[in-house]
Amino acid sequence: MLLARVEGNVTATRKHPSFEGWRLIICQPINRAGEALAAPLVALDSLGAGMRQRVMISSDGAAARNAVGDQKSPARWMIIGILDESQAGGRA
Amino acid sequence: MRLGAVIGNVTLAKTVSGIEGARWLIVSPFTREHYQRGRQTPAGMSTEPSLVVYDDLGGGIGQTIGFIEGREASSPFDQPTPIDAISAVLVDEVFYQPFSI
Repeated sequence: MLLARVEGNVTATRKHPSFEGWRLIICQPINRAGEALAAPLVALDSLGAGMRQRVMISSDGAAARNAVGDQKSPARWMIIGILDESQAGGRA
Repeated sequence: MRLGAVIGNVTLAKTVSGIEGARWLIVSPFTREHYQRGRQTPAGMSTEPSLVVYDDLGGGIGQTIGFIEGREASSPFDQPTPIDAISAVLVDEVFYQPFSI
């Protein structure tokens, strides 16, 4: 799992059918101080994460397949939690 | 899923069973800087190593695609398939606002 910051989103008409109706969120992996660590990743989101929010993303494919409800989906990265802003800010 | 620009394609003369006639794209993954250009193909190559991606969506050269790497790339197949990268999204629009502290 990685700590990341929401920096945008992607729209696509042509995609794997299992992604229909899912938000595709650009997540920038960050360190504890909030600095960018690597190239951004696109993750599925069911929690409604907003711009600039800190989130936790997981690469667990089995959990992502269950979430999209398709055992033949290639889904992998998924937002599994939104950080409490005040807590994260206080410790960073 | 990472995003990348399609910069070429591959055809195989002889393959293991299960992937005959597949489409293969050569993809140059986006760096943080590339995201800011949205759907336009970035000028110049990415510093990230390019890779070959299995494609069943019909991606073409110059397009931006989202691809998934790892074991999950072979999930859509009934039989075990030696694929570790698959295109999952043909990108229409990228909305990206980087944030630096």
